[in-house]
Amino acid sequence: MQRISNIMNVFCRCVSIGALMTLLISSAQARTLDTAFGDVEIEGEPQRVVTLYEGALDVAMTAGVTPVAAIMTRGGEGVARYLKDRVGDIAIVGTARETNIEAVVAQSPDVILASPRLSREQYALLADIAPTVVPRTEGFSPDAWKGEARLFGRALGHETEVDVAIEEIERRAEDLAESLQDNGQPLGAHLVRWMPQGPLVMSDQLFSTGLLAATGFDVDDGGLVPEGRPHSDPLSLENLAQVDNDWLFMATLNEDGDDALASARESKAFGRLSAVEQDRVVPVDGQLWTSASGPMAASAILDDIEANVLSSQ
Amino acid sequence: MPMLAATTPSLRHFPGMGGLLSLLVLTCLASLLVGAGPVSPRDAITVLVGGGSEEARFTVTALRLPRTLIGLVVGVSLGVSGALLQAITRNPLAEPGLLGVTAGSAFAVAVMLVLGASAATLRVPVAQLGALGGCLCVMNVVRLRGVGSDPVRLVLAGAALSSLLAALTSLILLMDQRAADEIRFWVVGSLSGRRLADLIPVIPSLLVAGLLTVTMARPLASLALGERVAKGLGHHPGLVRLSIILIVALLVGGATAIAGPVAFVGLVVPFAARAIAGPDIRRTLWFCLPLGPLMVLVADIVARIVVAPSELPLGVLTALCGAPVLVAVVRARRLPML
Repeated sequence: MQRISNIMNVFCRCVSIGALMTLLISSAQARTLDTAFGDVEIEGEPQRVVTLYEGALDVAMTAGVTPVAAIMTRGGEGVARYLKDRVGDIAIVGTARETNIEAVVAQSPDVILASPRLSREQYALLADIAPTVVPRTEGFSPDAWKGEARLFGRALGHETEVDVAIEEIERRAEDLAESLQDNGQPLGAHLVRWMPQGPLVMSDQLFSTGLLAATGFDVDDGGLVPEGRPHSDPLSLENLAQVDNDWLFMATLNEDGDDALASARESKAFGRLSAVEQDRVVPVDGQLWTSASGPMAASAILDDIEANVLSSQ
Repeated sequence: MPMLAATTPSLRHFPGMGGLLSLLVLTCLASLLVGAGPVSPRDAITVLVGGGSEEARFTVTALRLPRTLIGLVVGVSLGVSGALLQAITRNPLAEPGLLGVTAGSAFAVAVMLVLGASAATLRVPVAQLGALGGCLCVMNVVRLRGVGSDPVRLVLAGAALSSLLAALTSLILLMDQRAADEIRFWVVGSLSGRRLADLIPVIPSLLVAGLLTVTMARPLASLALGERVAKGLGHHPGLVRLSIILIVALLVGGATAIAGPVAFVGLVVPFAARAIAGPDIRRTLWFCLPLGPLMVLVADIVARIVVAPSELPLGVLTALCGAPVLVAVVRARRLPML
């Protein structure tokens, strides 16, 4: 398998017409996907795709397939900001917690790409509408998105594009890790969401914290996050020292991260953090850093790291 | 000042008051010594006598001291406003949190946040206006025949209004992502992360409310004897009620602006005060002064230690100890008419 996909990648990079031809032929064939709810058969290239998972929307866009419907991002009204322009107008059929089944039926999808946290009851409903692809991901792990992306890529008949994108991300993360190493700055980091009562510490097993780790950061949730949870309860301000580190990535759902930073600075306890004193607080988009996943999200997160960490001395 | 002299007798007229005051002082001390963080009571004592590490000093003076002072103010405001609201509705279950006064206040602030005004100085009057709206709703319900005379039905009507306003508050805050991080605070109140600067804009209106209460205590007590008696004594029942509503709005709005919605303090505190002081509203009010902060501070201390290194919101703790009191009051066969 590995060798075959490697060969395919070589073909693709050379932009060989022959390779493209084989691709078109091979992707048109029926294939069986191994999903969380058993084998799912899909034929050809689905045209009407509904994504009920932000990670699936990202992969579909990577594969060059614009879905007909998607779900809302966290704390937003449409899809996540980093994808908004690329996706354009799209029907919204629910949130990460709730799917409007009738709205999905109305889209008459060829395939439904869903979240690994989809319940069996929901799956039964959706599978009646169209083949429903649910990745096998248990709990949180930083590299789970790659397996999910490959599965969604196969479902869409665009496995190669997705593989290429993942490799591109891996290579870029390695390059960035080297540059950061050369830069010589200390690379301890925490990812938090700031609330006036205290920060929520994000797990070090998330998609975004995994990318921080891949670029050489030493991400640490300090054992504050319970197993299988994305973040801790709001930490008491008295315990803020536990999130003191070289870098503080501060995810906000606000469009303007600087606003959030300014309101956090109103707290004296926040101002005492060494990351704040050394101006190493990076406000980041919570939709991208704490809700999204997939190759395009990864690329946008690496952009954030490059722009905020590499450029600062 | 004959009026003041008449309402400020010495401590020996209040058996139990000395004990309550010393208990309150001890609770304030405990509030400075105990927290969710690594600064132990021993470290905190070192700070109080003038020593201690930089971190311990910061924790005690910049984190625990402000929430203790805010707890004192919030406790006094909510305890007194509960006693006043119960006196004018003649209902021992009338509690600002249960009747929708607090919820009206939080709702007004939420609307203000969504409309883009975030100035702390504006927050207090807006919260007080919201509380006033809630009070007026309560008083209109009290006038309804049947509902007003049945304590439990008034609370049911209030609970409906409260839930509606709380749901609207959550809804508009959810729709507005700028305020998303503050949602918890405006749904369940907390003393954590509040600064002394938040307290300052509230002080003037609380002083006004305090003065009004002192002048209104005697007419209010005569109102308890019936409207005719009050009129015979030269008071205007309508005017008295209006002033009390204003005081409740000032107190509840002020408390909500600094600590968010905190329910049940206005139920438990007057309940305990009446148990100690008897039915006279003036004595009840005096006992609410130490009892209110006592309840809020004890609840806040517990909120800090039960889930360390995190904290529980204060509103959760007050509801946990207030709900059983509500059930007990309702179940007691002879529901006292005030």
